Amino acid sequence: MFKDLDPILHSQLRLAIMSLLIGVKEADFSYLKEKTGATAGNLSVQVQKLKEAGYIEVVKQFKDNYPQTLCKITDTGISRFEQYVADLKAYLGQ
Amino acid sequence: MSEQQLSQQESLQLITEMIQKAKKSIHETGTSSILWGSAIAVCGLVNFAERQWQFSIGFDVWLLAMIAIIPQVWISVRESRERKVRTHTQVVLNNVWIVYGLSIFALVFYFNIVPGVTERLLAESGSQVFARNTTTGIETPFRSFIASSGSLLLLLYAIPTLITGLTHRFKPMIIGAVLCYGFFIASLFTDTRLDMLFNGLAAICNWLIPGLILRSLYLKEKAGRNV
Repeated sequence: MFKDLDPILHSQLRLAIMSLLIGVKEADFSYLKEKTGATAGNLSVQVQKLKEAGYIEVVKQFKDNYPQTLCKITDTGISRFEQYVADLKAYLGQ
Repeated sequence: MSEQQLSQQESLQLITEMIQKAKKSIHETGTSSILWGSAIAVCGLVNFAERQWQFSIGFDVWLLAMIAIIPQVWISVRESRERKVRTHTQVVLNNVWIVYGLSIFALVFYFNIVPGVTERLLAESGSQVFARNTTTGIETPFRSFIASSGSLLLLLYAIPTLITGLTHRFKPMIIGAVLCYGFFIASLFTDTRLDMLFNGLAAICNWLIPGLILRSLYLKEKAGRNV
């Protein structure tokens, strides 16, 4: 039934991450953790999967001597997200 | 939250919920607005008082506006450190305010340079402008100046304020900017003394009051998050 939906996005946490990133320029890892309520380990794994798929960019840097991970949706990520929403709407007959 | 599969309805619900969460997490602290509202209000009102009651505080009060850049840099650095997310709107509005800041400095530069250049160009062409006192008939060399310079400042104040207010749909800032346009029109018909009063009042309406409202909203939301 769901075979046509993008399997990368059709998972709760990855979809939550993409939904948060779609409306912003970039977000800190701690922001994603706070908003999704996920554990750091699980979030880190899902962020990596999205990065490997080319849906997001991940920049690791130092800010005030502390490591900071910034996540940003890519053009591919935007088009895949839009396609996913369009597919969902088609399923729901909207 | 896990890697579980979702139904179509659950997916759409999750997308909506996360987009709403992202929207709610955008907080303006109002600190910069309060800083500039206070600084420009003090400069405008003190300058008006000096002209109205013929006294001098011993230095150009508008230098305070230059000094206000120092705490602004500190505020910007601190807010940048605390910020966990940057929206496209924030980036665009920051750029609008940077361009505004540059334009204000360019305009102040223009106020200081153009009169001297005008006189030099006149002198080079062998001309000099005189002003004749219609009562005494005495003529004195006319010093060139930028007429109603305060009006140009008011016009410039309103632009980024209205853009910000309309973008955030923040009524106090929209009202402040509209009032600023009103002060601009009024200042076209008044002398420099009243232009300074309008500058001070515009800073209060444009930035100080909206800044205090923003600050109050920010502190309430922060307190709500900590409960």
